[in-house]
Amino acid sequence: MATADYQSRSVVDAVATAPGGPLRRRVNWTPLTMLLPAVVALLLIGVYPLIYALRTSFQQFLVTKPYLGTPFVGLANYSAALGDPFFRDSLVRTGVFFLLTVPIQVVLGIAVALLLTSSRWRRLSAVTRVLLVLPIATTPTVIGLIGRLIYNRDFGLLNWAFSLIGLGPFNWLGEPKAAMITVALTDTWQWMPFVALVAMSGLTSVPPDIVEASKLETSDVWETFRNVQLPFLLPGLTAVLIIRTADILKMFDMIFVLTRGGPGVSTELVSIYVQRVGFRIFDMGLASAMAILLLILCNVLAQLYIRIFYREIEA
Amino acid sequence: MERNLSRRRLLKGAAIGAAGMTAFSFAGRPTWVRAQASAFDLAKAAEPYKGVSIGVPFLDRPGYRAAAEMLPEFQEITGITVNTEVMPYENSREKQVLDFTGGTGLYDVVLVDVVWIGEFAASQWITPITKFTDNPDLADPNLNLEGFFPILLESFGTWDKVVYGLPFDNYSGLLYYNKKMLADGGFDGPPQSWDSLLNEYGAKLTGNDLYAYALQSRRGETQSADSFMRMVWAFGGSLLKPETFEPNLSSPESLAGLNFRQDLLPIMPPDIVEWDHDETVQGLAQGRVGVITEWSSFYSTLADPSTSKISDDLGITIEPEGPGGRQPALGGFSYAVNSGSAEEKQAAAWLFIQWINSEEKAREYVEKGGVSGRTSVYEIPELQEQFPYFAPLVESWNKYGNPVFRPRFPEWPQMSEIIAQTGSEMMLGSVSVEDGVKQIEEQMMPLLQPYIDGEKPRLQ
Repeated sequence: MATADYQSRSVVDAVATAPGGPLRRRVNWTPLTMLLPAVVALLLIGVYPLIYALRTSFQQFLVTKPYLGTPFVGLANYSAALGDPFFRDSLVRTGVFFLLTVPIQVVLGIAVALLLTSSRWRRLSAVTRVLLVLPIATTPTVIGLIGRLIYNRDFGLLNWAFSLIGLGPFNWLGEPKAAMITVALTDTWQWMPFVALVAMSGLTSVPPDIVEASKLETSDVWETFRNVQLPFLLPGLTAVLIIRTADILKMFDMIFVLTRGGPGVSTELVSIYVQRVGFRIFDMGLASAMAILLLILCNVLAQLYIRIFYREIEA
Repeated sequence: MERNLSRRRLLKGAAIGAAGMTAFSFAGRPTWVRAQASAFDLAKAAEPYKGVSIGVPFLDRPGYRAAAEMLPEFQEITGITVNTEVMPYENSREKQVLDFTGGTGLYDVVLVDVVWIGEFAASQWITPITKFTDNPDLADPNLNLEGFFPILLESFGTWDKVVYGLPFDNYSGLLYYNKKMLADGGFDGPPQSWDSLLNEYGAKLTGNDLYAYALQSRRGETQSADSFMRMVWAFGGSLLKPETFEPNLSSPESLAGLNFRQDLLPIMPPDIVEWDHDETVQGLAQGRVGVITEWSSFYSTLADPSTSKISDDLGITIEPEGPGGRQPALGGFSYAVNSGSAEEKQAAAWLFIQWINSEEKAREYVEKGGVSGRTSVYEIPELQEQFPYFAPLVESWNKYGNPVFRPRFPEWPQMSEIIAQTGSEMMLGSVSVEDGVKQIEEQMMPLLQPYIDGEKPRLQ
C-alpha cells in the first residue's frame, strides 16, 4: 500500500492544506536528488563540450597561435568546411565504408540470431551470447594493434595461414582497395555480434503461438520470417542503424592504429580527417564546425531511419 | 686570543679577496664557462626540491629505455620523483601542445623534436636554458655545451640563436645491411650510391619474397621525412629556396629524386607504403630485406641476437651518395623545460635534463642502448670497438649533416601532413609525381606566403 502510494506521487504534488484554502505545491525531493548526479554528469561530459564545440565553431581558434586570439568569425568555419574537398572526399569515403559494412552486418547478424534462437542451438545460448559479447568488449585500439600483426604482408598471421594451403601472400593493408576491405572486415568482425544480440532479443519477443500459427499457414521459411519475425526485429534494427551510423561517423581508434588513414587516403574516414584538422593542424574552429556538421548529419539520418524503418508492433 | 682573531680576520679578508678575484675574472665569459669554475653537488642542488615530482614524456625507443634504467640513480641522489609517460611518437606533439595550451601541467620536461623547436620556442612554451645556467645553485660546472656535436645542439636545441634544450635522443640516417645476403648476391660491400643500389644491387637481391631495399614510407612523419625528403635532398633538390622560402619541389633536382623513389618500388616490399620504422627494422632483422636506411637509434635492436636474426651479419655505413652528394637524414629530440611549470618543478626538471645529458652519464647511456649527443663518448676506444655505428654516425654528423633536412619553423607540422598525404599517393600511383608536387606546392603556398612577403623572419 505504501509502495503504491509512493509510486502514485508525482514530483510536485498539489495538496489542499485546508478546506476552501489556497492550494500549496509541495516538492518531492527524493527522485530529484537521485537523478541529480546523472544529470550533472551528463551536463558536464555531454552538454558542456557540445556547447563549447558549438561556440568554438564560430571562432577563429588556432591552438598553436594563441597570440591571434579567438575572434568571432560567423559562419566562416562552416563555409570553409563545406568548401574543403578533403572533407567532402572523406565524407564520401565514410559513406562507402558504411555501405560496405552495415548491410552485411545486419544480414549476418540476423542470420546468426536466427540460428542461435533455433531449437538446436538454444541449449548453447548462454555460451554463444558470451562469445558474441567478446568482440564488442574488445578495445578498438587493441583490435587495431592485433590487426597490424594479423594483416602484415610479410610477418602476419593471416598470410602465414594462407601459405599453409599454398595461397598468398596477400597485401591486406598495402593496397588502397584491399585496405578498405580489410578495415571493413575487421569492423564487421567486431560489430556483427552486436546486431546478432539485438536481433536475438527481438526474436525472443515474438509470441510462439504466432510462429506456430504461421507455420500452419505456410511452410515457406522466408514468408514466416518476413511477415511474422521481421516486424518484431524492426525497432531493434532501427536502433542498430542509428548507433552504427553515429559510430562510423566518429570511428577513429581502430583505423588510426591499423592504417593511420592510409595507404594514401584510402581509409581516411571523416573522423580521421577531423582529428587531423583539430589535433595536427590545431585549427579547433574548423574542426569544431566539421564536428557540428557531422552531428547534424547524424541526427538527420536518425530521423530518416525512424521514419522509414521504425514500426511499433503489438503482439 | 688576539692572535686567533687576527688569523680569523686574515682568513676572512683572503676569502673576500678570492671571491672578488673570482667574480672579476669570470665577468664577461660565457655562462657555462663561468659555471665550470665552481664545485657542483647534485644532491645539494636538489635539496630544496626533494619530494618534487616532474612529468617527463618518453617514447618507446631504445634511448628512452636506456634513460629509464638510469632514472633510479637520479631519484636516489636528488629525492626528485620522475614520472615518465611512454607515448607513441605520433601523439607526442598533440599531447604536449594540449598540455601547454590547456595548462594541465602534465609535462615539466618537454620532448622537442628537431622540427618542433621553432613552434615551441616561438610560442614561448619552453624556457631558454640561461634561466638555469645563470643560476649558480642549479648550473653544473661541467655542463660544457661545447661538448655536444654542434649540429645537434644547433638543430635540436636552438632557435633564433637562443638555446632551449639539450640534445637527448640523437639520430642520423645510416645504411644498415645484411653482409651475408649481399655476399650471396656477389657483393663484398654495401652500395656507395643510390644509383648503384637500384641498378646493381636491386636486381640481384630481389626475388623469392626477398627485397634489396626497404624505405620506410608509412603516412605521417615517416613518409614526409624518412621517405620524401630523403630522396629530394639526395638528388640535389630541396623543399624551399633558401633565400626566398618559395617552394622548390618542382625543380628538376627535386623531381628527379621523387621519380627515383618511384623507380625503387620494384626492389622494395609491395606494401612499403605501410612500413613504419618497426616493419623496416624487422625486415632487415628477419633477413627479408638486404639494405635499409634507418636512424642510428635502431642499432641496438639490430645488433641484439634476441631481436635480430642477422646480428652477426650486420653491416653499417653512411647513407649512399646521390647527385646531390651524401645527404643523410637528420633527426632527434632535445629535452627542454616547460615554461608553464611551477618554479620548483622547472628547477627539478632542469636538474634532470642536465644530469641525463651530462658528459659523465654519456657512456652509461650509450652502453644501455642510447645514442648520445656528446662528442667525448665517441672517442673512447673500447666503445668504438663495441659499437660499430660510431664511425659512420660521427662522419654523418660532422661531414654531411644537413641542419635543414626538414625546416624547423612552426609551419612544418602542417606541411608534413600535406607532404605525407600526397607523397603516399604518389608512391601508390594514384597521382603522378609531377601532379603531386603541384598539389603539394599549392597547398604549401598559404603557409609560406608570410615568409615570402617578408612578414615573418626567414628562419628554418
